[in-house]
Amino acid sequence: MAGLTADERAALLDSLRRLLADRCAESDVRRIMASETGHDAALWRALADLGVVGLTVPEQHGGAGLGAIELELVMEAAGAALLPAPLLSTAIAAALLDGERLAALAGGYSIAAVAFAGRDDWTGRGDVRRDGAGLAGTARFVPDAAIADTILVTLDDAVFAVAREDAEIVPLPVFDRTRRLADVAFRGPATLIGDGTRIAAARDIALIGLAGEQAGGARRILDMTVDYARERHQFGRAIGSFQAIKHMAADLLLEAESATSAARDAARQVAEDTPARAESVALAAFACADAFVRCAKDGIQMHGGIAFTWEHPAHLYLRRARSAAQLYGDSDHWRERYVRALEVEA
Amino acid sequence: MTDEQLKTEVEAWLAANWRGTATHKESFGRDPRAEWLAKVRDAGWAVPRWPSDFYGRGLADEQARIVERAFAAVGAPGAGQDRSNLWANTALAHATPAFRREIVPQLLAGEVGMCLLYSEPGAGSDLAAIRTRADKVDGGWRVSGQKVWTSGAQIADYGMLIARTDWDVPKHRGISFFFLPMKQPGVEVRPLRQITDEAHFNEVFIDNAFVPEDNLLGPLNGGWGVLQTALAYERSVMGDAARGPRSGAAGPKGDHALIGLAREAGKLDDPVIRQQLAQTIAWRVLNRLNTQRAKAELQQGTSSSIMSLGKLAMSRILHEEARVRTLLLGVESLLEGAEHPRAEDANFLTLNAYFTSIGGGTDQIQRNIIGERVLGLPKEPEVDRTIPFREVRAG
Repeated sequence: MAGLTADERAALLDSLRRLLADRCAESDVRRIMASETGHDAALWRALADLGVVGLTVPEQHGGAGLGAIELELVMEAAGAALLPAPLLSTAIAAALLDGERLAALAGGYSIAAVAFAGRDDWTGRGDVRRDGAGLAGTARFVPDAAIADTILVTLDDAVFAVAREDAEIVPLPVFDRTRRLADVAFRGPATLIGDGTRIAAARDIALIGLAGEQAGGARRILDMTVDYARERHQFGRAIGSFQAIKHMAADLLLEAESATSAARDAARQVAEDTPARAESVALAAFACADAFVRCAKDGIQMHGGIAFTWEHPAHLYLRRARSAAQLYGDSDHWRERYVRALEVEA
Repeated sequence: MTDEQLKTEVEAWLAANWRGTATHKESFGRDPRAEWLAKVRDAGWAVPRWPSDFYGRGLADEQARIVERAFAAVGAPGAGQDRSNLWANTALAHATPAFRREIVPQLLAGEVGMCLLYSEPGAGSDLAAIRTRADKVDGGWRVSGQKVWTSGAQIADYGMLIARTDWDVPKHRGISFFFLPMKQPGVEVRPLRQITDEAHFNEVFIDNAFVPEDNLLGPLNGGWGVLQTALAYERSVMGDAARGPRSGAAGPKGDHALIGLAREAGKLDDPVIRQQLAQTIAWRVLNRLNTQRAKAELQQGTSSSIMSLGKLAMSRILHEEARVRTLLLGVESLLEGAEHPRAEDANFLTLNAYFTSIGGGTDQIQRNIIGERVLGLPKEPEVDRTIPFREVRAG
């Protein structure tokens, strides 16, 4: 897998940020949130044309052939913009799929949702099991399932693909409307597409992508808050001149920078497949989740009344932070996993 | 000179001259290795970034690092002082030519002991509020006042002193910076007993002590600017000032020491403890990752805002690690003494965490600095910034 030079990487991120500024501004996010599917096909097409959709798909299948490091950086930008698109699901699917399915994915013509349903997974949600050659039971809280043409299901030692018409997909009413979830009930038909060997890598991609999204979101809501604290005047002074606000901002900067460091380090450990892989992924999972929730929560508090209104975007970040903090296991789960990884060394 | 030639030269010099092993040295006071350090100085290895007519070799930073690496490889001290020697760098930048020629070679060889005379009982976070006075007399100044938090004062030959030389201008503009000779009547040093029951610091009582004309650094009343140079060097020296357990003997070491302690305490299976272990260890690891990222960004030429976060991060790490240690020990933490080294450690670390969260700028001052210099938030209005110091309310 060919990595990018620093300049190429910067150029890719720059193009992505410009696309997001143009097509995924706050007004776009609100429009997509309010739509029935929560998906903007034209935006998805633009992301595919930019090469971001097929970022981690190998070049021979029409992708950019990049890895965890680039994915994490892309997800930082996506998280900052609250991008409502199945980018992460696509990256996870790319880690599970082969051949023609990959090409359709990279081109943006096929959307695959992923249900992690193994015993060792964080979710423990639902009761998916083998049923003859197929699958039975329900996978719960599956991101992007309602817009997917394919649902990928990982069990402990197998990966199945299920066509959307062979499953019953029930969209859920979600608190964070920028990330749609659905319950997926299986009725038998399912294609075994792999054994368990790729599941761990796919799980790492899920966690690294999410960590990047959280780090990017944390930094953006902090920047918004600091900008506002410089502008907003009370008692004849910018509120950011008050230590009560300034000290909170300094603490949040530490959280946001630490999240960025953790997410990038985890991406590097995974890309290089080092012995610290499990440990650093677990650390990023809880450090980034907690940082984003705290920046979003305190960000609203520091804004004051303006951020208590629906029209202000701060609550969109808190909603996203709260959904991200549950999606692939909560922070307590990952703190426990972190200690387990450290115990082996200590 | 190519990198390779330089490397060959410094390695050959070390092979011909370095015989010993490095002994530990405190940052303050006379250096027991003065003879070796003088040799390093005279060979131009102590401060290779400095000009070649003043103890240096005029090397660029990258080549100077080749010298430092060669010294580090054999464990020889004395290199890299152009980055780390607070005293010599301050004197180089601000002393008069005559005083510089006299003092700098002695500083580079550790032949004179030094201490810092900055803080006062009434000027801690607000350092510019100092009230120690220096009054002009024939040939110099007479100094009176009280300084505090001074390490190494007993063995120091000079103290880097800030004192007020003009009371009728705003507080930052009436301060001057001196090398005060310490071995004279009128300078009295008293050890300060800390909450850890140690005495690393002193109070220094100065009563009509004399400082010669030539020991003024920088312009008269321009001491605040000199101090900024000195503080910048001090911060780089003190970057890793946080200490580990005092006993040094009790229990496992390293980032993950808490895991080992929990295992020994039979609490590693407790899910509540495990959560706290994870979070506390994470803070230390995250701080290291931040520092690594900051260094990488600086090397790429991007400015990094992360460096300024390290001290604040370390305060939380130290306080929380001490809290978790105490949690692991339970009632054993009520004890002290050599028979109970784990309790000694936990209790010492609990108290000594304040060394970092108060010393060198409290966490609260640090948050101001981060808020203002990194995030660009406006300063608090300062009521004493523009009025003559004489009129500033104190107490």
